[in-house]
Amino acid sequence: MQKSRKTARTSAATSALAMALAVVVAPAAAEGRLNLYNWGDYINPEVLQRFSEEFDVEVTLDTYGTNEEMLAKIQAGATGYDIVFPSVWMHDVMFNLGLLAKTGIGSHPDFKNIDQTFIRAKTDPQAEYCLPYAWGSVGIVYNKKVVDTPIKGWADLFAVAEAGKKVILLDDPRETIGIGHIMNGTSVNSVDEEEVVKATDYIIERIGDVSAFTYDSIPLVQSGDVAAAHWYVGANIFVSQMPDILEYVIPEEGATIYQEDMCVLESAPNRENAIKFLEFYLRPEIAALNVAQQMNGTPNIPALELIPEEIANNETIYPPQEVMERLQIFHDLGEDIRLYAREWRRLKTAAQ
Amino acid sequence: MMVRGTLKWRQAIALLGLLGGPTLFLGVFFLGPLVIMLIYSWLEPGLYGGVVWNFYHLNYGRIFGWANTRYEQFDPAYLRIFARSIWLALCTVGLSLAICYPAAFWISRQPEWRKNLFIFLITLPFFVSLIVRLFAWVLLLRPTGFINQALMGLGIVDQPLEMIFTGFAVVLGMVYIFIPFMFLPVYASVEKLDMAMVEASFDLGAGRWQTFRRVILPMTLPGVIGGSIIVFIPSLGNFIVPSLLGGAKVMMIGNLIEQQFLSARNWPFGAALSMVVMATVLVLLLVYVRQMTREDRAVAAAPEPTGDMR
Repeated sequence: MQKSRKTARTSAATSALAMALAVVVAPAAAEGRLNLYNWGDYINPEVLQRFSEEFDVEVTLDTYGTNEEMLAKIQAGATGYDIVFPSVWMHDVMFNLGLLAKTGIGSHPDFKNIDQTFIRAKTDPQAEYCLPYAWGSVGIVYNKKVVDTPIKGWADLFAVAEAGKKVILLDDPRETIGIGHIMNGTSVNSVDEEEVVKATDYIIERIGDVSAFTYDSIPLVQSGDVAAAHWYVGANIFVSQMPDILEYVIPEEGATIYQEDMCVLESAPNRENAIKFLEFYLRPEIAALNVAQQMNGTPNIPALELIPEEIANNETIYPPQEVMERLQIFHDLGEDIRLYAREWRRLKTAAQ
Repeated sequence: MMVRGTLKWRQAIALLGLLGGPTLFLGVFFLGPLVIMLIYSWLEPGLYGGVVWNFYHLNYGRIFGWANTRYEQFDPAYLRIFARSIWLALCTVGLSLAICYPAAFWISRQPEWRKNLFIFLITLPFFVSLIVRLFAWVLLLRPTGFINQALMGLGIVDQPLEMIFTGFAVVLGMVYIFIPFMFLPVYASVEKLDMAMVEASFDLGAGRWQTFRRVILPMTLPGVIGGSIIVFIPSLGNFIVPSLLGGAKVMMIGNLIEQQFLSARNWPFGAALSMVVMATVLVLLLVYVRQMTREDRAVAAAPEPTGDMR
């Protein structure tokens, strides 16, 4: 459901217009092929370059903006893609739909590099199918010049809003209703009707102070038009460019976490190369190369030694254990997703 | 008889050749999807998108009032969103007409080369991606944007105006996008207006207002109505402008439909909403066509010419 993993470039509207951008990396007269289908700006092009040169494979990259968009395209019969990057809950969905191929990546000798806590998909407890790829928190990015005291959590965010400054929330039913769950102390995966209604009410009670629901909030926070916005850990890229103005925090009351897994499709035309790519990505130096550009979390333990110090020491990217315990990940809700859709519509119509 | 028969046959072949292609195109790319949507709107939603092939009436029940289960609840909000979309679309039509109608008159009085230049200028924005142009409006309308800074610099306002993420921004964005669609049909009928008629009206003693109401307006009405329809229909279903300039707080029917197909994974309900939109538009169009043909018949006192060769 998260639209843009790294930058504001892939917005809701651009993905709606299906501006598919294909990148091709190929050495001269490559033998094999490998076709990736990934979120926009969610892999370091250098990783593809290195793989392409080492294995003499032509790598193409197509992008999507949401899990649903990717699933719809694969379900509609799009063939030719070898590897996709679903969120953990979508990994479960795709497994249940029989769309994923067994890779045996979990029994590869280098799989010992992977932190076991990141094998999160319920349908794939031995990592026989997919490789945990990257993760990060969903928190708050704010403009230090506009707010009077630093924002530490959701309560502060809404206090800033109540004081008349502008704040933006994500245009995402589960993330935004999730804030209500966190504040009410209920699970972000709750399917109890009363709890979901109460979580929605938490946001509705404060909706008059929310300026907008959008993913494209970074430029407005940078310029100070908006004091704070609900955004992804990737905001650190902008924080590192404007350290005097911007700040990203993981809310003290708790937050959500996202994680994507790297999966091979059952319909993959180049399954052998796809498995080679998964194995290639187990190497610590490759995972570290990706993190250096993406500024997000990797489950690869030895890679942590190789990443730039300012990323490894950034507690919003690699939070201490006690903060990690306050982060919740979304599960697939099956049919109950419609409960959230219903409440989301109630929330949106309350805005007017 | 033989000759007539062959001639008719040839005409039929020619007609088939001329209309066959477009008919096939419309059949495959317009009627086909329409029928799929119609069928889907009466089916049960699948767990992960798609449909389950069981007859299911609650999709319409949610909109019109008989659904009451855990997931499918009647809510008047759907009709309210629908009514607001119609209202915003009507505002868009009204404002773009108010801009294009006088402009069309002025441009039609210009020398030939200037006319062409202005028409070119009006279509010029099409050369730039819609998304880029809408983001430009975000930059213009925001509190530290150009418009607010200019107004404050001139001392007209002391505080930035709330423009971005409001209904006003949505209508402004849609008027901006759809002006060329309104201008071209209006201009086409204004251009054809015979000034001799206007002079005749003045000679016969009509005043300015009377001339406008009884002569100019009826003669340019086809362009005005054509332009209004072409602007009304896409405004009604628009979802990009409300999500970018309305900050997704101003929900229109298009956003609701998009949400059903993506995050809610409820294709049948999205299809049912689309059907309601389409039915409304069709009813409006039918009323218009009937009105037009009735007027045509009233004007054409003579019997219709027959196509027979004598």
